[in-house]
Amino acid sequence: MSDDTGDQRSRVSRRTFIATTGAAGIAGLAGCGGQSGGEGGGGSESESEGEGGSNPTETESSGGSMETESSESSGMNTALLNAEGSSTVYPISNTGSSYWNSNAPPSDGEYWGSNSESTVPGWSQLGEPDMLLADYFAQKFGFEPTEQRSSPPFPTTVGLSHSGTGCEAVTDGLVDIGNSSGPITAELSISEEEAQNTVVDNVVGRDGQPVVVSSDVIDAGVTELTGEQVRGIYQDEITNWSQIDGVDYDQEIYAIGRSEGSGTDTSFRLNMLGGADASMPGVDTRFGQNQQVAQAVSQNEGSIAYMALAFTSDTVVPVGIDFEGTLYEPDRDAEHTIFDSDYPLNRDLHMYTLIEEDNPDGGGYDAREAAFINMFLNEWGQTIFVQGNNYIPLPTSDLRSMKEQVSALATEDLVMP
Amino acid sequence: MASTTRSERLNAAVDKQVQRIRDFVDDTEPEALVVVTAIAISLLTAFIGFLLVSNLTALPFIVFVAVTGYGWVRHQEETALVLTLTMTVSTLLILGLIIVFIFRESVPVLQYESATVFGVSVPGLRMFIQPNWDAVSPPIRYSMVPMIHGTVMVTVIATAVAGPLGVAAALFLSEIAPDVIREFVKPGVEILAGIPSIVYGFIGFTILSPWASDQFQTTGQGSYLFVGIVVGLMALPTVVSVAEDALSSVPEAMKSGSLAVGTTDWQTMTSITLPAAFSGVSAAVLLGVGRAIGETMAATVMLRGVPRLTEPLVNVFYGQETLTSLIARNYGEADGLQMDALFVAGVILFITVLVISVGAQYIEWRMRSKLGGEA
Repeated sequence: MSDDTGDQRSRVSRRTFIATTGAAGIAGLAGCGGQSGGEGGGGSESESEGEGGSNPTETESSGGSMETESSESSGMNTALLNAEGSSTVYPISNTGSSYWNSNAPPSDGEYWGSNSESTVPGWSQLGEPDMLLADYFAQKFGFEPTEQRSSPPFPTTVGLSHSGTGCEAVTDGLVDIGNSSGPITAELSISEEEAQNTVVDNVVGRDGQPVVVSSDVIDAGVTELTGEQVRGIYQDEITNWSQIDGVDYDQEIYAIGRSEGSGTDTSFRLNMLGGADASMPGVDTRFGQNQQVAQAVSQNEGSIAYMALAFTSDTVVPVGIDFEGTLYEPDRDAEHTIFDSDYPLNRDLHMYTLIEEDNPDGGGYDAREAAFINMFLNEWGQTIFVQGNNYIPLPTSDLRSMKEQVSALATEDLVMP
Repeated sequence: MASTTRSERLNAAVDKQVQRIRDFVDDTEPEALVVVTAIAISLLTAFIGFLLVSNLTALPFIVFVAVTGYGWVRHQEETALVLTLTMTVSTLLILGLIIVFIFRESVPVLQYESATVFGVSVPGLRMFIQPNWDAVSPPIRYSMVPMIHGTVMVTVIATAVAGPLGVAAALFLSEIAPDVIREFVKPGVEILAGIPSIVYGFIGFTILSPWASDQFQTTGQGSYLFVGIVVGLMALPTVVSVAEDALSSVPEAMKSGSLAVGTTDWQTMTSITLPAAFSGVSAAVLLGVGRAIGETMAATVMLRGVPRLTEPLVNVFYGQETLTSLIARNYGEADGLQMDALFVAGVILFITVLVISVGAQYIEWRMRSKLGGEA
């Protein structure tokens, strides 16, 4: 019950927050509207620079580093950006940091950009910029591109500790970004209002376990289940698919669970079955790993399971879940999706930044923080860093509102999802 | 009468040992004695340090290595004697430490699962008189009954597969097959024994189990029948190899004698060769059973991992959990009493394997005393 109220509270606060930042975002957009053409021009300019012989580029870039120093004196802080916190957010944050520091050229194809062999996901959505990785994201916030690989406009590093430690470190100003898998209100026991006045909540992805079924169940017309039905299946009250209203499919249900007492098992019991120690007499088999679950679902008829989204396929299909009247659909663009933070099997993965006096406009970011966090907020970032680490990418609407939050500081138009 | 002779025999043996040690001390140079004593004391100190988790454990161990090195150069004979003795003792010691450890770790859950019988509280009894396992939702119970049931099912099926097939194959290889075929097949069978169990488990999980689930119309995959068959096939090479050795060690004279009185080859096999090699063949089957009980990987991958009895008990088309797969599946996530319950599964396995190996020794001893002679 207390969780519900907590959810409610954060939901409301997020709406108000989006409402306020949304306005700023629109203003920012309006201001940047004229520059969007200029961005394209800048892109082609740097293209010609990049193509035109390697020697001039090198000399230019060595001069470039001096330029960066001079630009530092003119206000751009290029100090090391450090983050710390939760081991759950760490894979996302740290992969992001590694990519950033490598500052791969657009001809790389594997990590950034495109070549004859491969293209990174979401590349066309980013507008196929002819810039190095970190250069591209940094210049959107006013940094000078270094145009040299392994030399980003400013370096980043990520430390590993706990959610609570990360939240504390960011509020104390020890690090720039605090990674947390729980809301800061719970981690530091502070009120929602105090949290909003102290930090900006950047949600970069979600951790959760969508409910999946085998393809024959989908073919039989099951595309959504109610929370009550899922509970019934796992508590042995529903044992045949034909027992579900409107489904004419005489097939025993093969209910797959996760290792007894594991974190996944406990959170499923808590959020679906009504308590961390709720009984699960309906479970037919238990597996420890996502791969095993996916394999078992694909090769057994009538299967239902819960597992990381990254392992879904044509034969392992996520279904919509109806919780107390709200239908969460697997479709990314739906009103309520299984990628939402309200979806009971999900939790947000946060990267908190501190609201400081000396930030531009006294806001929640300095340019480095905004540039780094913005890297995660597009299809490329979500695919590589979030989905690549078996987490749930943000649905379009959340991605947009997060993007609007960071766009207040952008000197150029950000590509909206 | 018997007891007096036994104690007399014991006394005589002790006297003999004392005399041997006295002789050893008398015969050995004083310096060699010092070396031997130093080795023994330093090793003992190192062991005590190890048990106390002392930071200084390395010191006596370094002394041990140094003295042994010196002894090896100056008094090789005595040093070798002590070293071989040490190795034997440490084997037994390690075994003893493992036993003590798994028993000690299982104590808390045994206390938790106490049951009262006739007013007496028996620790651990409830693990064996009711079949419910649930480590998360109350009432929390750690019954070993489903796992014992699973292990018995898998072992029985595996033995039914590996026993007849293995003995028949061994008989063919040893008595019927031409030399050329034996030369090729025997090493081939031994190579089979070297295939890692996860390979069998993988084939079982991806091919056999889904197929069986379709054919027998079970809800989902995982059945004791197919785990038993796979484990039986895994144990087969062991059975064939050991049984073949036993059969071919039956003296040629016995078989020739039988043939000389006019029996056929088959009559010789059934009435002379097999009975004569019975101890070896049964040891082979028991080794196979041991492999089946201890088999972990294939069972873990293929079984369902939900500890409960099948309905009815002889239903082999559903496969829940064995003692070994319980440990393999849960060691990563378990803590507290659940972890201790895994140690109880280990204790049960240990006792079972002990009983089987003692049983195998007993059969061998019975056969030897009954048949006598060189077989």
